[in-house]
Amino acid sequence: MAIDRKRIIESLSRVKVAGNEEGLIPAFGVFVNQLPAGFWNSFAERLVWQVNDELRDAAEALLVNAAHECGYHTGYGIITSDEWRAVVEPMIEQAPEDVLHGAFAVLAAWGWAKAEIVELAPNERILVRAYNYYEADVVRHGVRRYPCAYMLRGISAAFMDLAYGGPYDASGATGLRAFSCRQVRGIECGDEYGEFVVTRA
Amino acid sequence: MPIYTDTELIIERRYDPWRARHTVNGVTHVLHCHHYMSLYTQLAEDCGMLDGPKLLAEVAEDAFYSMLAGYFKEHGITLLADKIALAEQYYAFSGLGQMKIAAAGPDSGVVELECSHVDAGWIKKWGQREKPVNHVTRGYVAATFAALFDLQPRAWRVGERESIVTGAKRSTFIAIRA
Repeated sequence: MAIDRKRIIESLSRVKVAGNEEGLIPAFGVFVNQLPAGFWNSFAERLVWQVNDELRDAAEALLVNAAHECGYHTGYGIITSDEWRAVVEPMIEQAPEDVLHGAFAVLAAWGWAKAEIVELAPNERILVRAYNYYEADVVRHGVRRYPCAYMLRGISAAFMDLAYGGPYDASGATGLRAFSCRQVRGIECGDEYGEFVVTRA
Repeated sequence: MPIYTDTELIIERRYDPWRARHTVNGVTHVLHCHHYMSLYTQLAEDCGMLDGPKLLAEVAEDAFYSMLAGYFKEHGITLLADKIALAEQYYAFSGLGQMKIAAAGPDSGVVELECSHVDAGWIKKWGQREKPVNHVTRGYVAATFAALFDLQPRAWRVGERESIVTGAKRSTFIAIRA
C-alpha cells in the first residue's frame, strides 16, 4: 500500500477551519460546521433511550443514515478537493483501494475517529477498526449494552459507496446506500476497539 | 495613552494524533456538514413519540452553555457587552452563521441571524419550507442568555419568529425569561 497515513494525518490535521465573514464554512461542496462532539452524542443518546423499544432500531437507522449521506457527499468533496490532490493523490497507485485507505486517514485527521481498514475485499467488503472515536464518549464508566457508533457506521458505508457504488450522484438517487455497515465491537461496550463490517446492501 | 481593543474570542485549537481528536478550548470538536445537520433536524421533527425539536434545542443549549459559561469563567469575562461579542464570535467560528444579539435584558432579548448554517443547509438540501427549522440556534440563544446573566440552562424560553428558511431576509429569535 502506497498510502502514508502518518503523513496524511500530519498534513491534513493542520487545516484550520473557521467561519467566513458570514459565519459560514463553505468547503468541499458543502456547508461545514465545527461543533462540540458532545452535542451530536447527546442528541443521539437521549433520542435512542427516550423512544420505546419498538422504535429504537428505526431511530438508530436514521442516525446512521444521517452520517451515510454526510459521508457520501462530504467524502466526495474531500476526495476531489485541492487538499486531497496535493497530499493524498500523489500516493495513490491502485484506485479505488488506495483512495479508501486515504479516506480513512483523512477521517483521523479530521477528528472523526482513529480508524483504519484492516481487511479489504475489493468491491465486496471492508473491515474497519477504530481505536478511538468520539461516539464512545457516551460511556464514562462501565459498558453500554449495545454499540452506538452511528456516525462511523454511516461514514464507513458511504466511503464504500464512493469506491464501488458507481459514479458519484449529487442527488443521492444512485450510488448512495449500495453498501451498509454493521458495528460488531465497540469501545463503549468494553471492547478494546470498535469494529465495523461493510458489505453490499 | 490608553489602548482600546475589541473583545476577541481566543481559540486554542489542538490536535492529538494519539486519539485522533481535535479540541477547541479543551473540548472535543468535530467537523460535520449541512447534510448531517439537516438530517438530524429532520429526525428531531419526525419524532412522533417525543418532542424532538425541544430535545434538539436542549441538547444544543447544554453543549453551548458549557462552552460559553466555561469560557467566561476561565477568562474572567464579566461585562455584558464582552459576553455578547464573544457569543456572537463563537457562533460564527463554529460555522453556524452571522448572529447579532440586538437586545438583551434580564427578562427578554432579541437575536437576529443574517446568515444561518441550519437554514442555508436546509435550503441547499431540500429548498424552502413554511415552518422555522433552526432548533439548534434556539438552544444556542438559550445557552447564551443563561451565560450572559449567570443563570443555568432552561432559564430562558426561545422562539423563532422569522426564519430564513421560510423566505425571510433574516431569522429572528425572541428570548423570554422562563
